[in-house]
Order: sequence, then structure tokens, then C-alpha cells
Amino acid sequence: VIADDEVLLRDGLDRLLTEAGFDVVGKAGTAGELHREVELASPDVAIIDIKMPPTHTDEGLVAAKELRVSHPGVGVLVLSHYLASHYAMRLLEEHPGGAGYLLKERVSGVGVLVDALTRVHEGECVVDPTIVSRLLRRARPASPLGHLTGREREVLALMAEGRSNKGICERLHLSSKTVEGHVRSIFTKLGVGESADDHRRVLAVLNYLRSAPQQL
Amino acid sequence: MARILWTAALVAGIALGVFSLAVARAGAENSFGGGSAAAGAAELAAGYALLGVGLAAMMHRRQARLGAILVATSFAWFLVEWNNPAAGSALIFTIGLALYAAAPALVAHAMLAYPDGRVGWWPGRLGLTLGYAGSVLVLGLLAAAVFDPASEGCQCPRNLLLVGGSTGAYGSLNRAGFYMGLAWPLLVILLAAGDLVRATPARRRLAAPVVIAGGAYLGLVATDFAYSLHRGFLGNDGLDRRLWLGEAAALGALSLAVIWAWVRARRTRFALARLVIELAESPPPGGLRDVLAGVLRDPSLVLAYPLAGGGLADALCRPVELNGEVTPVVRGGQQVALLSHRPGLLAEPALAEEVAAAARLALENERLQAETRSQLADLRASRARIVQAGDAERRRLVRDLHDGAQQRLVTLSLALRLARTRLGPGIDPALAERLDEAEDELRAALADLRELAQGIFPVILAEEGLSAAVEALAEAGPAPLEITALPGERLGSSAEAAGYFVVSEAVRQAASSTLKVSAARRDGRLVVEVEGDSVPAEITDMQDRVGALDGSVTVLHGPGARGTIRAEIPCES
Repeated sequence: VIADDEVLLRDGLDRLLTEAGFDVVGKAGTAGELHREVELASPDVAIIDIKMPPTHTDEGLVAAKELRVSHPGVGVLVLSHYLASHYAMRLLEEHPGGAGYLLKERVSGVGVLVDALTRVHEGECVVDPTIVSRLLRRARPASPLGHLTGREREVLALMAEGRSNKGICERLHLSSKTVEGHVRSIFTKLGVGESADDHRRVLAVLNYLRSAPQQL
Repeated sequence: MARILWTAALVAGIALGVFSLAVARAGAENSFGGGSAAAGAAELAAGYALLGVGLAAMMHRRQARLGAILVATSFAWFLVEWNNPAAGSALIFTIGLALYAAAPALVAHAMLAYPDGRVGWWPGRLGLTLGYAGSVLVLGLLAAAVFDPASEGCQCPRNLLLVGGSTGAYGSLNRAGFYMGLAWPLLVILLAAGDLVRATPARRRLAAPVVIAGGAYLGLVATDFAYSLHRGFLGNDGLDRRLWLGEAAALGALSLAVIWAWVRARRTRFALARLVIELAESPPPGGLRDVLAGVLRDPSLVLAYPLAGGGLADALCRPVELNGEVTPVVRGGQQVALLSHRPGLLAEPALAEEVAAAARLALENERLQAETRSQLADLRASRARIVQAGDAERRRLVRDLHDGAQQRLVTLSLALRLARTRLGPGIDPALAERLDEAEDELRAALADLRELAQGIFPVILAEEGLSAAVEALAEAGPAPLEITALPGERLGSSAEAAGYFVVSEAVRQAASSTLKVSAARRDGRLVVEVEGDSVPAEITDMQDRVGALDGSVTVLHGPGARGTIRAEIPCES
């Protein structure tokens, strides 16, 4: 199901995904329509624009979070204009599995889109690489990040994007043993407790990168 | 002229006392004060007390009439001795015959006319008319007209007023005067008591002693009239003399009562003097109320100023509501201030006037301050509105960018991608390269657009609040931000926007040095602190922005060039 109030874009996405071999089973222009379509068609994944009527702010994000609760089996991929990791965190913080946050212009990059849809469907979580690389690149006071090797940074970025060890192996053409070694080393260097759960791991890494202060 | 009159009254009054006592002593058996030294002393004391009080009152502009009545009363008090066979001269004796009973009517007059010398209400005037008619006309002039001393067996001087002697008519007239003299003092006492009941507490406190003393005197007079009914003339036997002594005492009390009221007024005037002194030390805005409350001994006192735009405000321009008794302070026909106070506090019109006069400058000053503050508040509100309108306009602009240009560019890139896939793998490499370039351009355009929108107004600030916006600034910004504290709640869009502006300005000016940022809510204010290696050179914009919300921006210099910008912005709770 594709939910976007911009008809041109919705239809374009429909055609693109159909040509890439997906079945688009429903289209919606509002959060209400989205819920109805998901109820009717029970899709694998719903692609949701963050901006929907009536206020065009974060209705898509709210609808996505509602779907995560009402239909846990349906993956959600939120498309957004906003680079700030804050919105991605809002989507992921409660139910990180089977949810993704991509920048809107990704719709023209079939590869990234297909990869994200597949991973969301498989229950992984997906964070836009641009957001992750921005977090990594971000100017910051001296931090343990500086002690990471180049390879470790790559692995950290992929973890932050939501990839599992297996996914990281495939991307970097490394053995699973090597990747596990890097992951362990990264967590040790950053002083973050390693988590067995992939989703928790994503959140831990993202939180570390965002280095959110204790909220007062 | 008034001075001559006053001096004449003084001299005449003293001489009258001495002369009357001399007459009394000469004809002691027919006198009141001539029988003993004590009685003479009482006569002089009561008369001179009235004379003194009356003369003193004449010097006060507002009590000159009352003073004249009191002086006349003292004269009349002495004249009671003149209808004595020992008077020696026909003129003296005749004046005594005509006016020997005038004193009670004058005392009644003073009672009803207290304190300003005027009898406003018609029943009061009626009572007085009856009084004068009974004691001066009936008992005095008319009785004198038919009283022939010779035929009454009196070794008296000649009665100059005699028209035709008639013992029967004389007795009838006297009795008529006595009956009237039983009625009108009662009426006057009732009227004066009624006035007291209706008066404000302050006025009641001042007037009650006068009315009580005067009432006691009139009561004694009426008793003497009743006692004299059976004998047909006012005599001076033992009971008459005892009653007369009581009258002297009552008149002494009356004089003291008038003096006591002056003492009280003087105390108030002292308080006013203190007010003037305290005001000279120019109290802080709002202090005038405290000074007035202290001087007038009324902690509940409220001072309010009418504003040009309508409404009432205190000196600090806080809206005020007045309850209870309100006295306006008027200057030049304009209300300068309103005082609400405990009932009766300023019942004396003169007191309100004197307060207004003493505190005139201070009142005017505070009123102007209140006025200025009110205008300042308007100005501040208008400044805040301008900033808010600007923010709203920027948000609208950003939303238009997102919904318009950005959305179209995304759609365009999608269309390009679709066209590309349609063309299939057998595409001309040159065309493929062009298309790739176009796609790259589009991506760059989208990134530029996003940055532009972010610079105009960060959507995240409006939607997610200050904390999220500062975090986003840390993710995107060129300067490393060390965020030590952020508020966990929303603080109102205006305050948040101003706080964000301070941080983003500091970031913009800090180039690439690390900034330590904290934002927290303290006592209804959003406190934003940005500490860096150097203090931003330009803080005028920040001050304008924060000042529009009645906040402040201060620079704290640390060691070396380090410094902290501290902004305090009032915010919603």
C-alpha cells in the first residue's frame, strides 16, 4: 500500500515498484484511507509519506506508529523530507523491527528502495544512509568515535542503518566471524553494552551517535 | 476688617465677662454667678471658654461662621446677668430683659451647625427658628414689652422696651416661652442625634462630643423651663442655680469637645506632614500606596490610576479593581487617582483635599509612571506580535517550499527514473550519462532546497520543539555542540523560537569551535546558555529577538576569551 497525498508521485511510485516486480495492492491519500486499505489488502509493507492531510506535518509518522500497533505484521516505510534523526527515532523507538525511515528523494533510486522494502518486510529496521552518515560526520567534541578504524566506522554506519550482521557481511564482503569481531570491538571502544537483539542494537547505536543528553 | 472685628470681639467678650460678673456681684440675690466666688468662677470659665474657642474657630477659614456663633453664645451666656435690678442703667437692664434667654438658642445653633457653621436641612432651620422665637422673641422682646418693673414691685432701672405693663400677659408669654422651650430643645437634640447616626464614622467621631455636650446643656435648660412653668418666670432659687451650674459645666464640655476635634484634625495633619516628608524621599514606584496606607493607618488602602486607554492600574501597571469606599483625587477637574479605603477614612472632604495636595507631585508622578508602563506594555506586545507574525510568515514560506518546489522536484526525479527504466538496458551511453547528470543535479537541488528551508525556519522547531531543533542543529551544524541540558517539555512557540535563534546565531558566529549549549526552564523562564571559546561579536539581533518577549541577553566573560551568552526568556508553563 502506498500512502501519499500527491497523486502524481503516488502513481509514479506505483509504476516504478510494479516494474521492479512488486504488487501494489492499494493507494491512499489520507491516514484514514491508509488504515482502510491496509485492513482490506493486508499488504506486506506500507509506504507512507510523512506529510499527509490535514496539517501536512507528521500525520504519516503518527499513522505509521498506529499501524505498527494495530497490524504488527505489516512493515512500514516512512518517506520524509526531513534529515533530522529526531523523526526517525520517533518512528523506531517503540517498535524498531519492521519499520524504516527514508528520505523522500530515495523514491527515484530503485536499488535503495527495493533493499529497504525487502528488509522492512523481513522485520529489520531501516534508517536512511544519509542520516547515518550525517550523524557520523557530525562535528562533535572529542569522543571515542575517533578511536575507531576506518572499517569499524563502516560497520558502525551499517549497524546504524539497521542492518544485521548477515547484511553487513554481504555489504562489505566479509566473513561473519570478522564482522562479529568488529562489532565487539566497536562496542568496547564506545563503551556501549552490546545487545543480542538487532533492533535494540540499532537503537543503542543511534542513541549513541545522537548523544542525546539526559532530558530534563 | 475681619481682624478688627476679631479684636473687637475679643475685647468686648473679656469686658463683657468682667462687667457681667460685676453686675452679678452687685445684685447677688438676683444673679447666678454673684452668690459665691465659685459660681463667679464657673460663670467666667464657661463664658471665656466659649469666647476663646469661638475666636480660635474664627481664624479658621472653614469654621469662621461656627466661631461667630460660639462668640455670640459666650456673649449671651454673660447677658443672663443683665436683667438684674442692680444693672444700674436702663439700657443694660433692657438688653438683659430682651436677651437673657438667648443662650440656649445659640447653643442649639452651634450644635446643628457644627462643624462648618451651616444648617443645611430644613427641619434643623425650623428647630432653630422655634428656638430663637421662643427665647429671644417670646421670652425676651415680647415679655419685655409687657413687663413693667415698677408695677411688679421691682426696684429696677427703666424698661426701655415697655409698651404697656400687664402682669397677666407677662405670665402668659413666659409660659408660652416655657412650653416652646420644652419642645424645641427636644427637637434639636433629636435632629442632631439623627445627623450623627447618618454621618460617616469619621464625622461621627468628631461631632459626637459636641452634640452630647450641647444636648446635655439643652436638657438642663428644658428642665429649668419645666421647673419655672408654675411660677411664670425664670428665677434663681436654689434649684435654678444648681441647674445653671450644670449648664456652665455642659458649656465647658462643649468648648472642650470643639477643641478635641481640632486635636484630632491636627493629628491627621501631622500624619500629612509626615506624608510630605516621606514623599520627599521619593518612594519607589508603588511605594506611595504603602506610604499612604501607613500615614492614614489603613492597610487595606488601594491606590489606582485611571489610564488614558481606559481601565485602572496601580503604579506598576497591574490592573486594579476597587472595592468598598472609593474617594477620587481630583486635580484641575481631572481624576488623578482613586483611593479605595476603609469606610469613613476620608469622609472629611478637607482631608481628601489635603492628601491630594500633599501627595500631588508623587501622585502625578506615579500616574505618569503607570501610564508609561502601560504604553511600554503595549509597545512590548506589539514587538512580540511583529516577531510572531514574522515567524508565522517564515513557516508559511517553508511549508510552501516543501509542499511545492520540493514535492515537484521529487516527482520529477521519479519521472526521470521511470523514463530511464522504460528505455531499458539498451540505452545510448551518452544519453544515460546525461540522465545520470540530471538526476545528480536534481538531488543537489533537493539538498539545497532543504538547506534553504532549514535556514528560513526549521520545521522541526515548530513541530517537535526546541530540544529536537537544537539536536538537529547539532547534527547539521558546522560547529560541534556539546548539549548539556534540554527541556523535556514544550515552552510555547515564541519562547522556543527566540531560544533557538540565540543558539543558531551563536553557532553561526562560532565558526568551528566547540560550543556548550544548555537550555532549561527555571521559574517560568527559558534560560539558554551558550558557552564558547569566544563571545559572539554580534548580539544585537539576539537582544532584539529576546527583548521582544521581555527577555534579556547577557554576556558573561569567562577566563581568557571564553564567554557565555545567557538568554532568559519568559515562557509558558
